[in-house]
Amino acid sequence: MKGTAAHIVRTLLLSLITLFGVSVLIFLMLRVLPGDPARVLAGLNASEDQVARIRADLGLDDSLFSQYGSFLTGLLQGDLGQSARTSQPVTQEIGVRLPATLMLAVVATIIGTIAGVTAGVVAAVRRNSLVDHVISSVAMMGVSMPVYWLGLLLILLFAVTLGWLPAAGSGDPLSIVLPAVTLAAFSTALISRMTRASMLEVLGQDYVRTAEAKGAPPRTVIIRHALRNAFIPILTVISLQFGALLGGAVLTETVFGWPGIGRLLVDSIGARDFAVVQGIVLVYAAAFILLNVIVDVLYVVIDPRIRY
Amino acid sequence: MNTTTARRRNPRIRSLAAVAALGLLISACSVSDPEAPSSEGSEGGEDATFSIAVGIDPDTFDPAGQTTTTVSNMVDYVVETLVRINDEGEIEGVLAESFETSDDGLTITLGLREGVQFQDGTPFDAEAVVFNLERITDPDLTVPQGAAFAAFQSVTAVDDSTVEITLSQPSPGFVSALSATVAGMISPASVEAEGNTYQEYSHPIGTGPYVFGEYTAGESVTVTKYADYWGEEPYYQTVVFRVVPEAATRESLLLAGQVDMIILPPVSDIESLQGNDDVEVLLAESDRTIYIALDNNDPLLSNPQVRQALNYAVDKQTIIDSVLFGAAEELDAPMAPSLFGYCETGTYDYDPDRARQMLADAGAEGASLDLLTPSGRYVQDAQASEAIAGYLREVGLEVNVTTSDFPSFLARVTAPSSEQTVDMHLLGWAPAYLDADFQMQMFREATHPPAGLGTAFYTNPQVEELLAQADVETDRDTREQLYCDASQVIWDDAPWIFLWTQSFPIVHSAEVTGIGSTPVEKFDAIYARPAS
Repeated sequence: MKGTAAHIVRTLLLSLITLFGVSVLIFLMLRVLPGDPARVLAGLNASEDQVARIRADLGLDDSLFSQYGSFLTGLLQGDLGQSARTSQPVTQEIGVRLPATLMLAVVATIIGTIAGVTAGVVAAVRRNSLVDHVISSVAMMGVSMPVYWLGLLLILLFAVTLGWLPAAGSGDPLSIVLPAVTLAAFSTALISRMTRASMLEVLGQDYVRTAEAKGAPPRTVIIRHALRNAFIPILTVISLQFGALLGGAVLTETVFGWPGIGRLLVDSIGARDFAVVQGIVLVYAAAFILLNVIVDVLYVVIDPRIRY
Repeated sequence: MNTTTARRRNPRIRSLAAVAALGLLISACSVSDPEAPSSEGSEGGEDATFSIAVGIDPDTFDPAGQTTTTVSNMVDYVVETLVRINDEGEIEGVLAESFETSDDGLTITLGLREGVQFQDGTPFDAEAVVFNLERITDPDLTVPQGAAFAAFQSVTAVDDSTVEITLSQPSPGFVSALSATVAGMISPASVEAEGNTYQEYSHPIGTGPYVFGEYTAGESVTVTKYADYWGEEPYYQTVVFRVVPEAATRESLLLAGQVDMIILPPVSDIESLQGNDDVEVLLAESDRTIYIALDNNDPLLSNPQVRQALNYAVDKQTIIDSVLFGAAEELDAPMAPSLFGYCETGTYDYDPDRARQMLADAGAEGASLDLLTPSGRYVQDAQASEAIAGYLREVGLEVNVTTSDFPSFLARVTAPSSEQTVDMHLLGWAPAYLDADFQMQMFREATHPPAGLGTAFYTNPQVEELLAQADVETDRDTREQLYCDASQVIWDDAPWIFLWTQSFPIVHSAEVTGIGSTPVEKFDAIYARPAS
């Protein structure tokens, strides 16, 4: 465990360099984008004087170097700047939206994990049966179906036709069902494919045969002996998917009017709201790093042989 | 093998149980605010809610900071203006009962409505008007649409209910401009209350029929009835604006009965919505003209004959019917009919043979042109551009269509003439107040990029002369005629391919009534009520 602790500290220290790199990269990428934030912000009807004023207010007349300098200085003090669009502090803008996205990603990951692992195990255990083929086909559909389309179909069925669930928003407790299921479709499919492959490999191992031979009940063999050993690659996929859900929920959030951070990011790019885009990208980067650290620890928990 | 053995053993994986457990888990994880999303059912106006789904998340509730009509529309529930423009295009008093411009056009005297109170108890009086007009013309405040008030010089309170505005030069559009949300009257005391500051004003307090309630970022805005409102009392106690960026989802919300009204459904569904008895569709008139701006400085396009040929080459009505699903009206003047100063100037009827002939006469047959179009900004913009390109190809031109996100698009079309990289682009222009003055900005040399959005780089001394006269003409009829004359010249010069004014579609439940629109792409649903 001592090695693990050292590993985590080392990872976190290295991540500071990563974050610095991310901050430079996103800063420069935004400045390379065509489009004048002041013009976009002011609207088409604004006069050139107003646009010039806004440009000056946003500090866009300063040199790139000094703009980055003030961004970094603020960053070190935990200040991500101010949204050009709403004049609110970026930390507040993100703070308001982040819980909604986290909630959606967590629920979708739970759905995806339970459904995906279950389907994958069943498919592996009953390899080449009808059940396996059905699961594989559905999984293929889940991977290929555009989130956008699936979301609209679900809305049509469950909100418009059946009237069971809210079509959009987050005000009602049931609001999360449709976006979470939509978001989970892809990860369920991916996780089930990975689980099936990984389980098939493990089910062929000697210790599984030994477990069966000693008369352990099938459920114990499959869950305790096979699944646990097959779980490392599955966990990797789940964690990667969770990360992707944090950042990739943009379409789902848009279709379902979910007030998350993905939509804020897209709105902010469209409005060339540099400070908000920078802030969100940094938060994503930090979240990914944190997620990796957590997964590293989970590896050790699942497979005590793993040492760092 | 082992795997087949395992298969035969047939374990009971309790997938059903897992799904059931998940269901419980989901219902346990509710997002904080359990406030019911919608509407109706409840009897009477006491606790009735009216909900409206819109596409844009508000940026600011400060009237002075407005840039979009959707957000202005919400602000209008809370904050009122001094005047408004009625259905006939005439100026009508709201908080000002009278408005008179002196003969020299330099002084505007407003007689204010008496007995009106702001929602925080501050009296609405001359002092409040002075405060507001000084605020929106304050150089230290960012007022994106403040250009309309450029002629403002000073304002004084003559007595409690009279103010006098002094202008630096006659500005016939000034009173009309006071109808825009930008010139909404907020309580002077409120800039220091409720977390507001003079510069950052996020909790508006006005004199309107509704009081600003709550804004949940990315989710909704709630307003509730103002008990001491001076005018007619609205029916609904609460109005909720729900932010739903996806058009198809807004439509679903309405069809599922989860909201009472939506704006901008998917245009492709307008026909099916019109055939649905549960909802009513309003294709509201808008002042937004959609056109292809031609680069009048381009060697080829500087020839008016070529520009006219392009106008003849495109079958506008067919594109409106088949690409825009009828959600537009073909232009017959360089401005929308809802503007003061509009007069019908003519049409360029679809005539490909004539277009071909004119192009041949001008030595322009087979010429190659680039067409830049935004995508998703205006109704079916990119699709319409493709159709237009198709028509231009039919008269022998080579046309390349490129799309772009809006900020990049703007950067390209507002580059100075010497740096222009496109021959033509599709653009929409919607005056913030219904006066030709605002539309004509597009045809003046003073607004050529980078100074403004006159992206066709069109200028004609005769037009400049007529517009300069109109700028200072205080007689209404004469001014109207000047705009009409200028329109005629512009129409014949064809700096644009004149396309259409797009409609502003509003769809509401058939169970409610009293919903209308104003031609500045706003809905008018303050006095919505149940239909029965």
